[in-house]
Amino acid sequence: MTTSPIGRIGRETDRVDGPLKAAGGARYAADHQPEGLLHAHLVQATVGRGSVRRVDVSRAEAAPGVVAVFTPFRPLPLNPPSPQQSGENYSALQDTAVRFRGQVIGLVVADTPERARDAAALVSADYAVTPSRTSLADGSPGVAQGVVQKLADGVPSIDAALAASPVTVTTSVSQHAQHHIAMEPHATTAVWVDDHLTVYTGAQAPQRAAATIAARLGVDPAKVRVLCRYTGGGFGQRSPVWNEALLCAAAARALGRPVKVVLSREQVFTAIGHRGAVRQTIRLGADTDGRLLALSHESDGELPAAGGWQMMPGRDTSAVMYRTPNIRIDQRLVTLDTPPTWSMRAPAEAPGMFALETAMDELSVRTGVDPVELRLRNHATEDPVEGRPFSSKHLEECYRVGAERFGWSGRRARPRSRTDGDWLVGTGMASAIYPAWRQSATARVRFGDDGRVTVSSATSDLGTGSFTVLAVVGADELGVPVGSVDAEVGDSALPPGGVGAYGSSVTTSTVPAVQAACRAAVEALVRAAVENPRSPFAGLDPAAVRYRRGRVEARGRSVDFRTLLHAMGVPLVEAVGATDPNTTSPYRFHCFGAHFCEVRVHRLTGEPRVARFTSVFDVGRVVNAKAARSQLRGSIIWGVGHALLEADPIEPDGRFAAATMADYLVPVHADTPEIDVHWLDHPDPHISEFGARGLGEIGLVSVAAAIGNAVFDATGTRVHDLPITLDKLL
Amino acid sequence: MRSYAFERPGTVTDAVRRAGSGSAFLAGGTTLVDLMKLEVMTPDRVLDINRLPLRGLDTTGGGLRIGALERMSDVAADPRVRRAYPVLGQALDLSASGQLRTMASIGGNLLQRTRCGYFRDVSTPCNKRLPGSGCPAIGGENRTHAVLGASGSCAATHPSDLAVALVALDAKVRLQGREGARTVDLRDFYLLPGDTPHLEHDLRPGELVTEVVVPALPWARRSTYVKIRDRRSFEFALSSAAVAVRLDGDTIVEARVAVGGMGTRPWRLTAVERALVGRRATEETYVAAAATAVEGTRPLRHNAYKPELMKRTLVRALLELEQTR
Ligand SMILES: Cc1cc2nc3c(=O)[nH]c(=O)nc-3n(C[C@H](O)[C@H](O)[C@H](O)COP(=O)(O)OP(=O)(O)OC[C@H]3O[C@@H](n4cnc5c(N)ncnc54)[C@H](O)[C@@H]3O)c2cc1C
Ligand code: SF4
Repeated sequence: MTTSPIGRIGRETDRVDGPLKAAGGARYAADHQPEGLLHAHLVQATVGRGSVRRVDVSRAEAAPGVVAVFTPFRPLPLNPPSPQQSGENYSALQDTAVRFRGQVIGLVVADTPERARDAAALVSADYAVTPSRTSLADGSPGVAQGVVQKLADGVPSIDAALAASPVTVTTSVSQHAQHHIAMEPHATTAVWVDDHLTVYTGAQAPQRAAATIAARLGVDPAKVRVLCRYTGGGFGQRSPVWNEALLCAAAARALGRPVKVVLSREQVFTAIGHRGAVRQTIRLGADTDGRLLALSHESDGELPAAGGWQMMPGRDTSAVMYRTPNIRIDQRLVTLDTPPTWSMRAPAEAPGMFALETAMDELSVRTGVDPVELRLRNHATEDPVEGRPFSSKHLEECYRVGAERFGWSGRRARPRSRTDGDWLVGTGMASAIYPAWRQSATARVRFGDDGRVTVSSATSDLGTGSFTVLAVVGADELGVPVGSVDAEVGDSALPPGGVGAYGSSVTTSTVPAVQAACRAAVEALVRAAVENPRSPFAGLDPAAVRYRRGRVEARGRSVDFRTLLHAMGVPLVEAVGATDPNTTSPYRFHCFGAHFCEVRVHRLTGEPRVARFTSVFDVGRVVNAKAARSQLRGSIIWGVGHALLEADPIEPDGRFAAATMADYLVPVHADTPEIDVHWLDHPDPHISEFGARGLGEIGLVSVAAAIGNAVFDATGTRVHDLPITLDKLL
Repeated sequence: MRSYAFERPGTVTDAVRRAGSGSAFLAGGTTLVDLMKLEVMTPDRVLDINRLPLRGLDTTGGGLRIGALERMSDVAADPRVRRAYPVLGQALDLSASGQLRTMASIGGNLLQRTRCGYFRDVSTPCNKRLPGSGCPAIGGENRTHAVLGASGSCAATHPSDLAVALVALDAKVRLQGREGARTVDLRDFYLLPGDTPHLEHDLRPGELVTEVVVPALPWARRSTYVKIRDRRSFEFALSSAAVAVRLDGDTIVEARVAVGGMGTRPWRLTAVERALVGRRATEETYVAAAATAVEGTRPLRHNAYKPELMKRTLVRALLELEQTR
């Protein structure tokens, strides 16, 4: 770990929480073992839709160690979710309806986790079954949600604009449900002390989670605390509170003892939301030089009847990406009886940009314009619908730098023209875009009489590196070593206004709040120094006192804050800083990037393998180069899964066909290519004084398209239905 | 997991005496414990056989004898195996993961159960798991299922890589039951599903696999195993081929060919072997011979790609073998 007192921003900083995690000292939701703990296991519906007629709990109740079995016929009281809230639209066990296969229909509580699990297997249910709607094809076209349209003067419709275009491309793509599969399975430990509830559960937004739990359990929000200091991955899946956590807290209340629920790997697939299946059609109209004249993006996304996240893949992709006089985005949702959907890393942008960038590659093939050149010709300096300028956009530089690092310039655009032994070799590229978002945020900075600074914010570190961001920014702002700063997140009891860790917005939003809190804390320290009678600076004009690198100085005297606090007899001085969102800005805020990759496909057996990847990003200012690289690289590996492996088809009876780690394939090390990640250093002057736009998701956007485009280059076969598996390339 | 009695017999005789229809032998446990947790296998007695003297790798007198409790990793690493039967070493190397291979035994590997997703999910019917309950795979998700040997009752593939290599080598298994010992050709050991997919092999209740015997086959030094899958590692075969070829100059004089991922059991392809013998070792020969492999294949809805993939896997394996010349 570094001890350099200043200038840490943008450099390589080890994770401040790294040693603790590596040594197994970090305690996650399931690691808490309060006195008198009971263990619960979920029982899930095994039919796709209908109702529970009867649940036989007799064998489970008689099983060793079982304390209670809750079912729709012996429910745990929970309030329904607020209708304004997106997500699941029902509370488990409150009625007998079965909305999807895998819905929670019971909770078995026992003295050990094994006994709870084994007894849960003894619960049997009788159902009245009604047919399920599970296929997007059956339900398409869905119901339009967000039509965005802009047509040039005199153009009657997007169809007319397309019909008048010299070159047109129509591309339809699809992808199945996908799963987040965070390293830490969903788990909750709930402890009541009198009427105060403490919930240990991974939460991307601890304060929102506490409010939700309070509302659903009908208790005073001030009496609910959510703690998730360490969380093993979120990716969107931990932004809502799922039934597992609510039932856990309700069971603990009913039984008067702490209760823990840990989902099995298989349960996470169905009881917790997934990225919905989606089909999309892009129609491009262009002149013969590849300049876009019209763009239409239609989508049909899965929206479970039980509620879920709305898949809108055109909004932050096709509606902002390229310059075009005519544009129409028609996003439709198809109601299905599937498990709930939820946002998953680059939730709409990953599928949306797969569609757009595949279509752009087809346009490149049709017009003979090099893919990079095609994108330069259609470069947008303002968003094509509203005409708002981008706050800071250096995408052209991404293309240039990326092409150079990758060695793109010599590319021959002749599919199936390069081989290496028995492998067909191809290259492909794609542009990436992801919205940047600054939420209002708060942070607290504390000078302690132990000589340490504590920077706190009620956000969450999902393994992403926010602890380190807080520490680095606090250290930089206060001019103290990173090693003397403690960072604190994952606690709803921290000052109100912490940001949810989603939308790649923690750094963007929290850094300005940390800076404000540092300044406020310095001010408070100086004020105390002049006001406290025991202070060596007592009675001075505050303007004559200055803070510098952890010391308070005036009249030739310089005292470090620890000594000062001791002299004053004060254990700590702290202040909260809050910042507003930038919703009134005239600018559009987006991150950009360019991916380049080489793919190899075996000439006989067809398996596609990614050989190397080069990506260049424009994300504003970077706080920690090490964590940034890891986020971007991890995203690209995720994208390899998106392109080549990840799919969970839903069967007609509502069963996920691949809802286990054995069947749902994600990339392993051997699938991970050589990855060259690079970012430009252009702080965004409009998003905040600091200039960070966030980078947790942009890396994944368009990876699948770049790979698919390279597969086409290697083989001459265009695969539109993900994942690109060998059977489609034989 | 259902509760069960746990016993640790010290001798083969003791183990066999204690075994019965409701019991299961525990070797590495990488299949058994997994399926017990899923409640797919629910033995009432688990007999830990790891203390039995079923270890060792023996090459005296030609051929190879492998104790049933030898670990996959040890067999794969043995220089005698690698030199004399590359196909075996490679099949093992390409199986599972490093951690699993150090746990898993050779006997257990041959007796592992299918990876059919319905078989492993007790909330669905499955004729193999619950005879007579039906087979959801045949009309459902069957991208990974068998195109050879399937019946209307079951189309699950046998997942072992090792078994494919061993079948190509004409290996035998030594069995020990209460009534004594016997030796069975591995090829005949596995049963076709027919109407009784729950009966997977010719192993009588309580019978123990004690040893795998690979006959001497000096020209198996030129053998190889090719495994094709979506993911580069840690996945079962969509298709695999074990091939060995004896050449006289450029002419193939003997050949052994078996495929995995295609059949309800490891599938020996004698027709392909015959089509290779007497011909020159060229890609044309391989393509022509591989074409005979697809005779009798019966694809389902999602696995129609498999016959073609089988042919191509065979050609690839034969070509890769050429490179080791
Ligand atoms: C994630 C994963 C991936 C895998 N990937 C592959 C792969 O790619 N290729 C591959 O080939 N395999 C693969 N396997 C399967 C693995 O190779 C087997 O699980 C393993 O070989 C079984 O050996 P074991 O000693 O652990 O058997 P156990 O689990 O102990 O036993 C398996 C079965 O055989 C019975 N049994 C064991 N020994 C004897 C004996 N001597 N006599 C009679 N009955 C016996 C048991 O009762 C049980 O029914 C994978 C397994 C896992 C979990
Ligand atoms: S294929 Fe065989 S194992 Fe799979 S569901 Fe059908 S009967 Fe069961």
